[in-house]
Amino acid sequence: MTLLSTPAVILRSYRYSETSKVVRLATRELGVQSAIAKGALRPQSPFGAALELLSEGVAQLYHRDSRELQTLAAFDVTALRRGLATSLGRFAGATTLAEVMLKMAPPAPLPSAYDRLVAGLESLATAPADAVDATAVRALWRLLGVLGFEPSLLACARDGAGLEAGNGAAVIFSAADGGALCARCAAAGAPDGASRLPPPAFRDLLALNDPAAALPALDAAHAAAHRRLVARFTRYHLGEGGAPPSPLPALDLWERRAWIVAS
Amino acid sequence: MSAIEDLVTELSRLPGIGRKTAQRLTFHLLKQPAENAERLAQAIRRVREQVIACGTCGNLTDEDPCAICRDPRRDTALLCVVEEATDVAAIERAARFRGRYHVLGGRLSPLDGLGPEALHLERLLARVGNGSGVREVIVATNPSMEGEVTATYLQQVLRSTGVRVTRIARGLPMGGDLEYADGVTIAQALEARRDMSDAD
Repeated sequence: MTLLSTPAVILRSYRYSETSKVVRLATRELGVQSAIAKGALRPQSPFGAALELLSEGVAQLYHRDSRELQTLAAFDVTALRRGLATSLGRFAGATTLAEVMLKMAPPAPLPSAYDRLVAGLESLATAPADAVDATAVRALWRLLGVLGFEPSLLACARDGAGLEAGNGAAVIFSAADGGALCARCAAAGAPDGASRLPPPAFRDLLALNDPAAALPALDAAHAAAHRRLVARFTRYHLGEGGAPPSPLPALDLWERRAWIVAS
Repeated sequence: MSAIEDLVTELSRLPGIGRKTAQRLTFHLLKQPAENAERLAQAIRRVREQVIACGTCGNLTDEDPCAICRDPRRDTALLCVVEEATDVAAIERAARFRGRYHVLGGRLSPLDGLGPEALHLERLLARVGNGSGVREVIVATNPSMEGEVTATYLQQVLRSTGVRVTRIARGLPMGGDLEYADGVTIAQALEARRDMSDAD
């Protein structure tokens, strides 16, 4: 067993026995790992408040490849990200990113996914209030992209023909095909559940997937449409291969924005 | 399955009890007079049959409304909002708070599928609404990320009522030692520091 030190984010934590916690960590060097933090619930525990959901730090892990549950020796917090708790919109977006990491990231090194997760959490914690939705949608598309599910938006997802955003025609987006379809493939038959995107919506989708582009200003209706689109894409690819789709409660809550009704 | 094995299995389902402890408890019960085991069985049966959630505050009770809601000496202007009924017991142990409670029945936790609809918010709004006499709502959800976002959400939901909303303080525990406190707790304690100039 080796003692390894790696940047990490707490994706989930569960009580284990009277005194310990089991945490699921996104780590930069080892991918998503489960670890037991022995004694973390004791009042004088050196972990203290460090094992908070979505906090970022440096984890010291006793690691063995053959084990499913590693041992967390220490976790030194570098960013607690209390900004995520300032609105339910930020928090729901951040937990959706955590959920996608938990379901889709491998227990193997994938530093780019870790970096995208951290960048997404940071952008959500600091986004202006009116840009939280668009920030979350962008962070989710970008995370999916680095996890191997980047949507094809510049070329047809079916035949590879180039797509033009400015030709005034609506674009068919098919989660099953993995992105947008050219007019010829769309006419040949789009699968059930494909979405028809008017040109402004397709331009917003391109901007949401391009970190160099300015974040589009989405009103409530358009933000809801983009949340639905990315949520459908995520669900489809999580259940790919005929496997029953795994429940994604954080994604469901974020997509529905159920809290708007009550507030 | 034998009766012994059956009891060991059931006891080991309880939190904090492993199979070995369950076996020890089983053999301890077997050594006791039969009436002790009968009393235990009856207490378990009664707690399941009689304990309900208070229709006013959501606290666990065997009489509705609960003893705290019925107590006329309690200050009706103060309402303390907690996540679970166990938190009521913890605050009551401190013997400092003389207001009433409201139990949410959980906290916002998207990863567990718990959104606002899972909390008893309509009941809270009805209790705090016009003419209720509530002047202050103390939000005593846990100082975790989920507890904090629940507190923020409650503050937003209660804004329209015009009632004062306060949050319990966070920081160093009594009897604690700075040297052994973690950085997060020290940072919180510094943020929530208070002025001592008018302490006398």
